[in-house]
Amino acid sequence: MSTVTAPRPHVVDHVDVPDNYLTHSRGFLSWILTLDHKRIGVMYMGAVLASFFVGGVFALLLRTELLTPGRTIVSADTYNQFFTLHGAIMVFLVIIPSIPAALGNFVLPIMLGAKDVAFPRLNLFSFWLWLAGAGFTLYSLAAGGFDTGWTFYTPYSTTTTTGGVIPVLTGVFILGFSSIFTGLNFIVTVHKLRPPGMTWFRMPLFLWALYSTAIIQVLATPVLAITLCLLIVERLLNIGIFNPSMGGDPVLYQHFFWFYSHPAVYIMIVPAMGIISELIAVHAHRTIFGYRFIAFSSIAIAMFSFIVWGHHMFTSGQSGLMNTIFSLISFSVAIPSAVKTFNWTMTLYKGTISLTAPMMYALAFLFLFTIGGLTGIHLATLNTDVHLHDTYFVVAHFHYVMMGSALIAMIGGLHHWWPKMTGKMYDEKLAIAGCIIIFVGFNLTFFTQFMLGSQGMPRRYYDYQPEFQIYHVISTIGSYVMGIGFLTTAVCFVQSLRSGAPAPANPWGGRSLEWQCASPPPHDNFKNTPRVGNPYDFSMLQWNPTTKGYDVDPVREAAAFAVEARNEQARGHA
Amino acid sequence: MTQITAEPQTSGHASGHGHADDHHSGEHAKYPFLAHHFETPAQQFDSAKLGMWLFLATEVLFFGALFVAYAVLRSRFPEVFSYASHYLDTVMGGVNTCVLIVSSLTMALAVYFAQRGKKFALVLCLWLTMGGAVGFLVIKYFEYTHKIHENLVWGPSFYVPPHSPEGEVEASVLAKAPAPAVNPVPAPTDPSATGLVSLAARPPADASAIKPAQSGPKGLGVWSAPTAAAAAAMEPQDPIPAEAPSDHLADPELPPNTHLFFAIYYAMTGLHGIHVVVGMIVIGMLIFRATRGDFGPNYYTPVDLVGLYWHIVDLVWIFLFPLFYLIH
Amino acid sequence: MLSIASILIAQAAAPTATPADFWLPSGASNHVAGVDTMFHWINYICYFFFVLVVGMMVVFIWKYRAKQGERIRLDGMTHHKGLELSWTIIPLLISIAIFFFGFRGFVDLTTPPKNSFDVNVTAFKWGWTFKYPNGAQSDNLVVPAGRPVRLVMRSNDVLHSCFIPAFRVKRDLVPGRFSTLWFQSDVPTGLDEAKGYHLFCTEYCGTGHSNMNRKVLVLEQPEFDGWLTKQAAWLDEIPDEELYFKAGPKLYARCQQCHSLDGTAGLGPSWKGIWERVSNPSGGVAFADGKSYSDLIGPGKEYATPEDYIRDSIYNPGKHLIAPYGNVMPTFKGQLNDRGVEAVIGMMKHLDEFDAKGAWTKSVPVATK
Repeated sequence: MSTVTAPRPHVVDHVDVPDNYLTHSRGFLSWILTLDHKRIGVMYMGAVLASFFVGGVFALLLRTELLTPGRTIVSADTYNQFFTLHGAIMVFLVIIPSIPAALGNFVLPIMLGAKDVAFPRLNLFSFWLWLAGAGFTLYSLAAGGFDTGWTFYTPYSTTTTTGGVIPVLTGVFILGFSSIFTGLNFIVTVHKLRPPGMTWFRMPLFLWALYSTAIIQVLATPVLAITLCLLIVERLLNIGIFNPSMGGDPVLYQHFFWFYSHPAVYIMIVPAMGIISELIAVHAHRTIFGYRFIAFSSIAIAMFSFIVWGHHMFTSGQSGLMNTIFSLISFSVAIPSAVKTFNWTMTLYKGTISLTAPMMYALAFLFLFTIGGLTGIHLATLNTDVHLHDTYFVVAHFHYVMMGSALIAMIGGLHHWWPKMTGKMYDEKLAIAGCIIIFVGFNLTFFTQFMLGSQGMPRRYYDYQPEFQIYHVISTIGSYVMGIGFLTTAVCFVQSLRSGAPAPANPWGGRSLEWQCASPPPHDNFKNTPRVGNPYDFSMLQWNPTTKGYDVDPVREAAAFAVEARNEQARGHA
Repeated sequence: MTQITAEPQTSGHASGHGHADDHHSGEHAKYPFLAHHFETPAQQFDSAKLGMWLFLATEVLFFGALFVAYAVLRSRFPEVFSYASHYLDTVMGGVNTCVLIVSSLTMALAVYFAQRGKKFALVLCLWLTMGGAVGFLVIKYFEYTHKIHENLVWGPSFYVPPHSPEGEVEASVLAKAPAPAVNPVPAPTDPSATGLVSLAARPPADASAIKPAQSGPKGLGVWSAPTAAAAAAMEPQDPIPAEAPSDHLADPELPPNTHLFFAIYYAMTGLHGIHVVVGMIVIGMLIFRATRGDFGPNYYTPVDLVGLYWHIVDLVWIFLFPLFYLIH
Repeated sequence: MLSIASILIAQAAAPTATPADFWLPSGASNHVAGVDTMFHWINYICYFFFVLVVGMMVVFIWKYRAKQGERIRLDGMTHHKGLELSWTIIPLLISIAIFFFGFRGFVDLTTPPKNSFDVNVTAFKWGWTFKYPNGAQSDNLVVPAGRPVRLVMRSNDVLHSCFIPAFRVKRDLVPGRFSTLWFQSDVPTGLDEAKGYHLFCTEYCGTGHSNMNRKVLVLEQPEFDGWLTKQAAWLDEIPDEELYFKAGPKLYARCQQCHSLDGTAGLGPSWKGIWERVSNPSGGVAFADGKSYSDLIGPGKEYATPEDYIRDSIYNPGKHLIAPYGNVMPTFKGQLNDRGVEAVIGMMKHLDEFDAKGAWTKSVPVATK
């Protein structure tokens, strides 16, 4: 169905693109009722970035409070709400939806070669669910807030008198379904809407990552939904399932909660790893090293993630046998991630590396993910975890992987696909400056927290011993530097929207299908059904200094397709 | 085959599904239900089916978590489960099981007839399925109301004596009472843990004081005079009552923490009931569309998908029924 | 010669706490060696892999950097079986080794010896009580040096967690169950709190979570025995007329988190003027259920004397709530005996003799002894 019988135009005249998904229809209703995955992705992106700003403000507030022991700017109760809100907003409203729902929605169908996701109306419904969940969270602030920590451990969460607990639990319940339906949509899209020629092993690694993430989303999130229901019912009706004086068990809640929340962290990191595969391959203009391993490891991580939840509970009182099993399996989960890191580093070997902003973010990822992943070893090891659990060491570890890796990858991906999404280029120097400031600020903020934790400072502490103050001061200064870095990046993007240079179809030289349609893409993604080739074969790309983009040299492309066709025949897939 | 076209995409289409698309004008014109992003009806049908199966997987995990809670509670308090299940009416539960199984049959038949375009049979089967759902809920209604009347419910209300006027006042007070906040758990070695003044304020013994079912909590003896019905219920000498006493609190065999059984019972059957209600709404929508003539051999996807959903609802009940009603 | 002598002398001296280093605090228990060694070895492995990955990254960036639009190299390899296998298997082996040593260390951490000295620990919002086999109670954890100590812990309300960084031990306290941890410290600190080790609550438990800190004090066995005997009877040892000012402030230390002495509203009502209120009960509404002091206190009423009322509000704090305070006070039944209550009541009676922090402002009359 996709055999090209005539040569097709390779230079897309971007100046005269008559229509694209942004201009296809106008008005608020055309956005809020859209079924176009690209618009839904853009709306998610705006919503997620707005939530990131709110969560970030809470972070800066709590770091400011921690400048001095004792009261600095707020009371203990307010501080407790700050860190709870920071955590809940960042986990549920920002990081979990950010890559799959925002970037994934935009990129997946185009990269796959499809016209849309399998269920566009379900996709829109997912977005509305996100809005509803965010609405309940905002309402919970008005209802008195909540100070339980984002983990809602019982019995504190079932007995605390702050009034916003049930609203936020409802909000997170709804957000869970937003996540489930996005995942469901992606799985069906990848299975059923691949064009002929797009075999599993011709899919770019970002799609493998999104697919693995979707499996986790679909299977793990319902358990969170029930857990939150049980919490709400426990608070409202006092059924006693988590109340020891009524025969219940507080630790049972922890098992239920972490059964979802551990896979959840892989929902955060696996798509980020997919983005890094794309960024490094494209910006180093080099085929990814070890494609098959990276693809399979995404699935393996998704499966293993379900059987390691107990490593959050080593000191909770679960049996020694359980502790041993969870520790052992946690190590095995680390191996695929380690190998991916080596693969990415090897992809840089004999590459032609352009130090663009997306590449800078990818390099930052490599640095920060290495630290974050390695410090997981301290926490997976049983006897060191006894010392480090519930201290700032854990806080530092998860910020390195959730923020330093997943969020950095998301922002790198945003820089990478920005020209495609908006049709505009941004100021490269400003973007790189933003990246560097964020990187420096991040390390200042969180590396000190490793020392804070191993020296014995517990987490979620409003007040602390004076000997810890120097670490806190450095950390807070780092957080302000990070804030400046994010502002710089925001300014860069706003500037691009207002006055950025028009973007060519393929500014970076990618070979996955999204680079074969105009920037921004037309409403139906492709004017002409694209030809599916090896997404990491950059041999036929030619820099065009006029458009400042890459064109495909038809002669070399035909040669590459011929080689591939011969290989396929040899493998018997003709 | 591809066609190279230079036609601009004008805003003639709404931001949704276009109809006759240039690339696949044949297929889309032929099948008005075919969405623009699918190539063939078969692809659309396959996608819908896969999507539905994935949704069923989420339902399995959703209920699965509650099954795990059931398993944990039952392994910790086996005497509670074997005792309290006698309060459930096996006959009513059995009838409900048959009703659901029959409604699953009629649903499957509905799919069969939809595939063959037999509209009357399809609509009839859908109505019968709907009837089964209604019947299930009616029987459930009777079961629930009877139990609530007897205070066979979750939480502290379980310990409010049923039928007594003070009981009702206390029940409403308890309903508003805050969850036990900082009241300390009586020390497990403290022998006076069970000697408390009023039953309504008695918290059940904490988990570390596990008592065998035969001896029952000590506090029962000091409780206010039981009603005549309860006094009659205390007559039988068998360790496990053949018929559940009408006043559970008067039964000396009542194991501690029995309220947990009812908590998990209402949670699971309640969640299942909500799914039945949702099923009814969706079947109602199907009836409307089927009567309108939307379904035929070319297009019966919604019937198929709702059928899958209904079968899962039935399947969950088939697990719930023996786990609650048939245990000893 | 002198240096060798000093080394020999140092080796013969009493055991000392390990010094604090960049990562870990000073350590003073038998677990420190195992945990610290593990921590440092994991660090070395981390440093190695970090330098390897980031180093290679930097080298490759420098060597293969190019300008946008430069001709693309095509000689990069797509895979290399040998390399991929080795960097899968070697980390796997390292992981298994780390797991094994960590597991062994964990077994040591969680297997108390049979002859451990047990201390009962109770955590509540927001403090700790340490109880000893002879009935003595303490606010700080005082333990004997040179023998295994096992903490048998329970929580009165929500999750807490007992963390002693210097001993490298931690365990959650779950309401409804007992949990244990054990350690042996060979380094005595004496009773000086400034030399003691921190004990933190490390499971979030609300407003006072970061103010539940106590100290661990290690005493040589004979000194410990003496302390234990004295502690069990400390309240009884004090003559009656000195009870309120010798014992009152010590006991008030546990109340001051919620009850001020100078009228400031806290989580609970201030004690300022409390004795006047209960000994001359007025008819004004004071309680949440609409009752007044005079409804409850007096002959024939629920509390015959004001002392009865104070005593009951310490043991059954939720029974009569003073408006507008909530039901947040934990009971002190089992933690404060009758003599302790007597001391508290005495302090309330003589509140004008104490400053806002609970310190007694007068001095002991010389003629008493």
